[in-house]
Amino acid sequence: MKKLGLLTVVVCGVLLLLKTAEFADWGDPNSPASRHLSPYFLENSIKDSAVPNVVTAVLADYRGFDTMFETTVILAAGLACFFILRVRKTEKPKSTYYRHVPTATTLRIIEGAVLPEQSKVFKRIDSVWVPFDLILATTCKAIIPFIQIFALYVIAHGHHSPGGGFQGGVVLGASIILMAISRNLGAAIAHLKEKTTVLMAMIGVFIYAGTGAFAALAGKNFLDYSTLATVLGVDEIMARSHGILIVETGVAIAVMAVMVWIYYNLSSAGKQDEGL
Amino acid sequence: MSQHYPALIIVVPLLAALAAAAAGWINKRYCFPIAVASLAASFVSSVFLLGRVIRVKEVIYEMAGWTAPIGIVYRVDALNGLVIVVVTAVALVNLIYSKSAIEEDFPDKMGTYYALYILFATGLAGMVVTGDAFNLYVLMEIASLTGYSLMGLRRDRATVSALNYLIVGTIGATFYLLGVGYIYIATGTLNMAEIASFMSQMSDSGSIRMAFVICLAGLFIKMAFFPLHGWLPNAYTYTPTASIGLIAPLTTKVTVYIMIRMALSVFTPEFSFKTIELSGAIVWLAIIGIVAGSCMALAQKNFKKMFTYIIVAEVGYMVGGFWLGNRAGISGSVLHIANDALMTLALFMAAGIFARKIKGEEISDMQGLFRKMPWTMAAFVLGGLSIIGVPPTCGFFSKWYLISGGIEAGNYYFVGALLFSSLINAVLFFRIFEVAYFEPFSESHGHDHSHGHEAVAVEEAPLGMLIPFYVVAISLVILGIFSGDLITKIIYFAIPAGIV
Repeated sequence: MKKLGLLTVVVCGVLLLLKTAEFADWGDPNSPASRHLSPYFLENSIKDSAVPNVVTAVLADYRGFDTMFETTVILAAGLACFFILRVRKTEKPKSTYYRHVPTATTLRIIEGAVLPEQSKVFKRIDSVWVPFDLILATTCKAIIPFIQIFALYVIAHGHHSPGGGFQGGVVLGASIILMAISRNLGAAIAHLKEKTTVLMAMIGVFIYAGTGAFAALAGKNFLDYSTLATVLGVDEIMARSHGILIVETGVAIAVMAVMVWIYYNLSSAGKQDEGL
Repeated sequence: MSQHYPALIIVVPLLAALAAAAAGWINKRYCFPIAVASLAASFVSSVFLLGRVIRVKEVIYEMAGWTAPIGIVYRVDALNGLVIVVVTAVALVNLIYSKSAIEEDFPDKMGTYYALYILFATGLAGMVVTGDAFNLYVLMEIASLTGYSLMGLRRDRATVSALNYLIVGTIGATFYLLGVGYIYIATGTLNMAEIASFMSQMSDSGSIRMAFVICLAGLFIKMAFFPLHGWLPNAYTYTPTASIGLIAPLTTKVTVYIMIRMALSVFTPEFSFKTIELSGAIVWLAIIGIVAGSCMALAQKNFKKMFTYIIVAEVGYMVGGFWLGNRAGISGSVLHIANDALMTLALFMAAGIFARKIKGEEISDMQGLFRKMPWTMAAFVLGGLSIIGVPPTCGFFSKWYLISGGIEAGNYYFVGALLFSSLINAVLFFRIFEVAYFEPFSESHGHDHSHGHEAVAVEEAPLGMLIPFYVVAISLVILGIFSGDLITKIIYFAIPAGIV
């Protein structure tokens, strides 16, 4: 059976490769792909939507409907992870670990013992990640704000350079995950609760789909950003440009929230008490 | 609002999925009404859309206002107008039927479940109405991802079989995507109608042939066409009750629709049936698939697993009928998409009710069910008769067209396989009827002797499940009675005029 599988894979691969011989060369100006639609996009994206980055114009406007569903795919992944993994009722762990902060002593509290109050003095820590690394925690604490500012830059600059909602959202999500890795899962959850991430994910996709629905309600076709012109007080072309920024923001919020949500569930096998 | 029907079918459920998921964290009671309202809106829009398509033949909706090759368009004609009504109807009816099952199985994840459920229906509906080959892939991703998770959550082997399905399904979807990539490189466009317009000059291109083969292979994996059906029986047997009534009737049928759409409206009938000489081989595979699926169904003791092998055989009907390449065969295939979706739904709804009332999933556990739940069994008999193909249920009519297609094409092996499969189905269902009618009901295999031979009290399924089940069972007869109209008023226009 294994050999049969290997044979199938090899035959399929060889066939696919053989037929690529008929493809046009890389960057061939006469290939169908660069003769047919690309010239339109290159020549008209500025005229149509005032966006210098053609990729952004194609992604978020001409084929914006695809991108809306790509965002939904990410949301679906988050929902799926939550649905399969999340466990609500967990039995109390055998022993829990606390740190006495002033003396940096680690306490192991065995089953049945009285737990200290969560406070500035006693901090709950993960059993799999006992050592507390001051250098790591402090460095990450210092870096995280800059990562987040960079993420905002990536989102906002999608109009002019490579970037946009997906990339910015991932960077933003990574900053929260970095906090969870450098300290512990509980610290990250204390900053950004699970419920908040879920609602943010929904709101992010809603911003995108809602912008589209607004266009439909205002009498044009779904996702036609030019309907925003009256609301924003600009002409239709600039309205398209602003519309792209609005949906990119929605994408960023959704992607960031789903990244964090998936991390919470994956790293703690759905228990969300102690993480990686 | 009427010009927005194609968008409403998709967008209302999408927004509702977000609302349902959020409501799960705020107040769970709102989840069900949101879900039902959105799918009902989607169903009503698709019915109106079908009405419009019958009048004007073709409805085009340009997303974001960009015309065909530049932007994404939704294109609805008689073919997908019919399928979209079926998809939204099945999703709606099954949701109402599943309310109590969802509340029991996923009490603390209800919002997420409803969101996944609606997103799955959205994905399928989008795949049906889209006129863009890549947009179809994006929606396929949505339907697949949500489908895997809807299948995965149950205590027993569900997670493993869902993972297995995930791997196989991803390979199928990737093949389709590769095919679309080949098409794009060769033609420079993703719009289905425009690809078709280039096809007459491209028919001897090797990359187009490769694209055709690889798209078809991917779709065959996704629809569990023999011999690529290995993932289906386990995945469907262990799926939770609420999900199976959504996934089993729709996934395979929508994929068959995509195959028909690709062959007729993307690669053009000229190319699919004449230039590329595969139809004979595919019909042969279908014949083997029908016979093998039926035989494997006969070998099953577990009734859910038996139903899953019936699906494998039914996929053979539709694929084989289509690739006969004549009008009768294709009509039968399209009609069977609608009929089989409802028949499969009826079977799995019955299975869901049985699973609540009896201990096991074996056929021998069904003893005395006629006396215990006469109403459920009456509707189940109707479903069984439709699968066998007894008039006036709808199963008869699509089989009639498929068989006459086979006779027209002179392919008597296909006709033989269909008749053989009908006979096997008769054996399968009358075996169940016999056990359920003649053998007395015994609680948990006679461990408890006190109930042994006494009259069994009627213990029907709750009305919330029974009414949707009856809606489906009765619609099997109604569809059967009106199938002539369906053929002459809708399906006739779904098939290109060149095919006789």
